[in-house]
This record gives sequence, C-alpha cells and structure tokens, in this order.
Amino acid sequence: MEVVLHLPVVPNVELVAAKAVETLGGALGMHQTRVEAASVAVVEACLNAMEHGGGPVTVRLRSKNGSARPCLVIEVEDHGKGFDPERAPQNSPSRILGRASKRGWGLTLIRELMDEVQIRSAPGKTLVYMCKYVESAP
Amino acid sequence: MNEEQIKLSKDLLTDDIGLIAAAGYINNEGGQAIADAATDLMGDGATTLLIDLKGTRIINSIGVSILLEILEKLLDEQGRLAFCNLTPTISKTFEIMGLVQYAAVYPSREVARAALEGDVTS
Repeated sequence: MEVVLHLPVVPNVELVAAKAVETLGGALGMHQTRVEAASVAVVEACLNAMEHGGGPVTVRLRSKNGSARPCLVIEVEDHGKGFDPERAPQNSPSRILGRASKRGWGLTLIRELMDEVQIRSAPGKTLVYMCKYVESAP
Repeated sequence: MNEEQIKLSKDLLTDDIGLIAAAGYINNEGGQAIADAATDLMGDGATTLLIDLKGTRIINSIGVSILLEILEKLLDEQGRLAFCNLTPTISKTFEIMGLVQYAAVYPSREVARAALEGDVTS
C-alpha cells in the first residue's frame, strides 16, 4: 500500500498530505491520536519543504509491515539548496517568550511527534523520513 | 478533514473573561483570526481569555506561534490565557512549544469557566 503525492506550492496544500496520512493511518488501524500526531508532523515537513525548498514537494506514504513493529512511513522530499540537520534550530520552550521570532519549531515538532526520523540533505535534494508505529509501545 | 476555513466566535463571559471558540485549521490565517478576536475582547475589557478548540484537530507551528504572541500580550497586561477541549496531539504540541507553561488547560468549557470565574471572584 503506497501513496505518492506531488504537491505544488499553493496555500494549505499541506492539508492534502495530512488527509492522506489520515486515510492510510486509518486503513492500517492506527489510533486516532497517533494519526493526528503524524498529520501534524507531515504538515510541518511540507511547510519546511515548501519554505526552504522553494518548489514542488513530493510526499510518499507506505505501510511497513516486515519489521518487528508495523509502521506508517512518510517521506517528504524537496529540491532546494539543502541544509545541515545538525545545525538546524533547536528550540526550547524555556526560550520562547520574549523572542522577536517564534518560528523554527518544525523539526522539533517532527522529532517529538514521530517515532523515527531521519533527514538526508544535500544541495538539490532533502529527504525527511518519518515513521509512526501503528501501535504505541507496549 | 475539511478544515481549511476556521470557524470562529467570540463572546464576553463576564466583564473580564473572554471566550473564543475556534474550529478548523490553525495556520497563519487561523492563528491571526484568533489573534484579532483576542484583541477585540481585550479592547472590551477582557483580561482573561479562554480559547475553546473543540472541533480543531490540526494545527501548525506558525499558528501556534501566533497564539504565543497572544499569550505575551496578555501577560504584559497581567492577564491570563487558558485553553479547553484540546486533542491529545494539540495538547502535546502546546507542551513541546512551551505554551502550557504559561496557559492553563482544561478538559471542557464548563470546567474552565468554573475554574476561571472562581479565580476571578476569589
């Protein structure tokens, strides 16, 4: 089971990816709360890809059943200039008030809301790999 | 998840407690609509704002950053911000972004009203 979306940069297009997560997650039997967490993560990944990639975004969703813990895999790909994930902003809630800009939470949310996250980035291609287990930890 | 357009209403519950009910996608536009409603209620005298997110299931960090600006504005005027009817994911997002350190969260509007009105009269 796989879904591939090619998203143009238009307002609220990230909701198309969120809807796909909702549909596929539901088909896999994921609890609504886990689906919603994955939906917020894919929204953030798409927004980052559109903002920093500057062009169309590809989203791939598939189920992964062969591993010990079945999961929903989501990959978000853009073709921007890339970035160093190690140097990406690390936000902390203790630093949030009083700052002129309150942006830059996307990667933090993705890492907190998903079970596995890997980022591969180079000039011309950034791929954010995210996995949400179908069931929560026993 | 047909949530592109946020549905929003606002009301003064008491002389100093304002209620904003928002259902839909809280992105930059949804967040700004809530901020505008907050500004209106503060102009009407509200120093405590309760934001009811029943019907909101998806948010993004830009929308939440606007909610943080509302929080700052209220704190600057010795006011308070509270939320109710959050989904577990929205609650966790607020926790990650630090909103719940400064804003109270209640399970329902009724519980929130009882707590906030009790605080006001005590």
